[in-house]
Amino acid sequence: MAVIEVERLHKRYGDDVAVHEVSFEVERGEIFGILGPNGAGKTTTVECLSGLRRRDGGRVSVLGLDPVAERDALRQVLGVQLQHSALPERLRVREALELYASFYRQPADIGELLSRLGLTEKAGTAYKKLSGGQQQRLAIALAMVGSPQVVVLDELTTGLDPHARRATWEMVEQVRDAGVTVLLVTHFMEEAERLCDRVALIDAGRVVAVDTPAGLAARAGREQRMRFRPSAPLEDAALLALPEVTQVLRHGPKVEVVGTGNLLHAVTALLARRQIIAGDLRVEQASLDDAFVSLTTHTTTSGATS
Amino acid sequence: MTTALPTGANPAARPALGMTRKGFRRLTVTQARLLLREPAALAWLLVPVVLVVVLGSVPGFRTPQASLGGQRVIDVYVPTCASMVPLFLALTALPMTLAAYREKDVLRRLSVSPVPAAGVLGALVAVIAVVATVGVALVTAIGALVFDVPAPAHPVAVVAGFVLGGAAVLALGLVVAARARTGAVASGLGVPLMVLNFFASGLYVPIAELPHTLQQVCAAIPFGAVTAVWSGQGVLWQHLLVLVGWTVAGSVVAVRWFRWE
Repeated sequence: MAVIEVERLHKRYGDDVAVHEVSFEVERGEIFGILGPNGAGKTTTVECLSGLRRRDGGRVSVLGLDPVAERDALRQVLGVQLQHSALPERLRVREALELYASFYRQPADIGELLSRLGLTEKAGTAYKKLSGGQQQRLAIALAMVGSPQVVVLDELTTGLDPHARRATWEMVEQVRDAGVTVLLVTHFMEEAERLCDRVALIDAGRVVAVDTPAGLAARAGREQRMRFRPSAPLEDAALLALPEVTQVLRHGPKVEVVGTGNLLHAVTALLARRQIIAGDLRVEQASLDDAFVSLTTHTTTSGATS
Repeated sequence: MTTALPTGANPAARPALGMTRKGFRRLTVTQARLLLREPAALAWLLVPVVLVVVLGSVPGFRTPQASLGGQRVIDVYVPTCASMVPLFLALTALPMTLAAYREKDVLRRLSVSPVPAAGVLGALVAVIAVVATVGVALVTAIGALVFDVPAPAHPVAVVAGFVLGGAAVLALGLVVAARARTGAVASGLGVPLMVLNFFASGLYVPIAELPHTLQQVCAAIPFGAVTAVWSGQGVLWQHLLVLVGWTVAGSVVAVRWFRWE
């Protein structure tokens, strides 16, 4: 069952169309990613479905509620972590959680939330004294404090060091394991690949593709390349006879095989039959990164690959 | 004091999905804590108190002056100093706090929770109103007990004047706070309003020494009206009407103009 339905969502700021006919559905219990270059309209999309902005066209339903007309009812069941949001500097961690908990009809247990997000020791610390990672964990805790059924997490790990980023990913997985549907906005491929069940790729305000991260990577259609040094002579014809292989190149003692589909499996099977060992084997496979670049190429902004 | 809130109906009383009574109470308590953690909060209270003590210590200010209609300077300055407290708080502290919340995206975070805008404004106004009441009481008490400033001729009218005057400037403060994107913009708009009210309340020149026309203009400014009520000048109901007018107009505009970001 879809908990979020977005149909032909349209939003403009003056003459600038930020979101153009965006449609997607998010199933209950999913981690659904919204992926795209900076300025693609990701944040505007989630702001429209959080009720933070009024859409100019299309239909949006979150848990059967219209984010604008049924704003108050939606607020009770939707948790949001915003990209640009903060707390008063002198507000302490526990106070922040108690404050936001008091707004909801079914607040989560604060002690449990603190320990789950590793903030128990920081309960008495002022917001401005927290590290970036701790502030992000508090933001997740605040998104969870109303016992929501859906949480929106926007650019969760931007500005975090790799260690804090990984720790935050684990938090997101915990959130999903608790039965909460997660809508994750990101421009990090690695994050989407690691966390998301499905991804909507957005570029210049339009949905380019909706698929699993692996499906998107395959859709990129990028050729795969294998390079290796065979332990015994291997003629090009044997390789070219494989349907997966499109091209064979020689670099001195090294062979480079270019192809599509399950190239790696086909070539290694051939080598095994011939009892040839592939030395210095290197494989280049299409990744979500390649999909991202090839599906969003018409925007040559510097942000496209960041 | 909460009856004087310019936001009108107590948001917690409305049986809305948006915000619970508990939520409003917690928000108010949190605002109070944050204000007390800000050292500047005490300065807003201290300046008028120190000013009364200093003025009262000048011997010449404790002798009746013919130009003030036989009143002493200190008699005239106690209501003026008392007025400084709500003016400081309503026209600088309130808008600057809200503008800083807006600038630092604190309001943005609140806007995705079930808290309505009126709840945020109401909690902040409630806290500021309490602090202002304490400050006015303190200045008045020092004037009466230490410098024998006589009680106003109509104490009930004076209390009503201060309550409505406080509401009027809080409403004006909210108008400034509704849109100001940064603390600098908020103080740029709030401080001139504050100085205008200082002038009208006789901080710079005693009102009695001003030309008649200027006195009438001052009586149309919120704390000019409050000072006139205290000193028993003019028609009481007209002054109170001026204050109600500012309160209503300010509240309506503030709620219309309010933006989370």
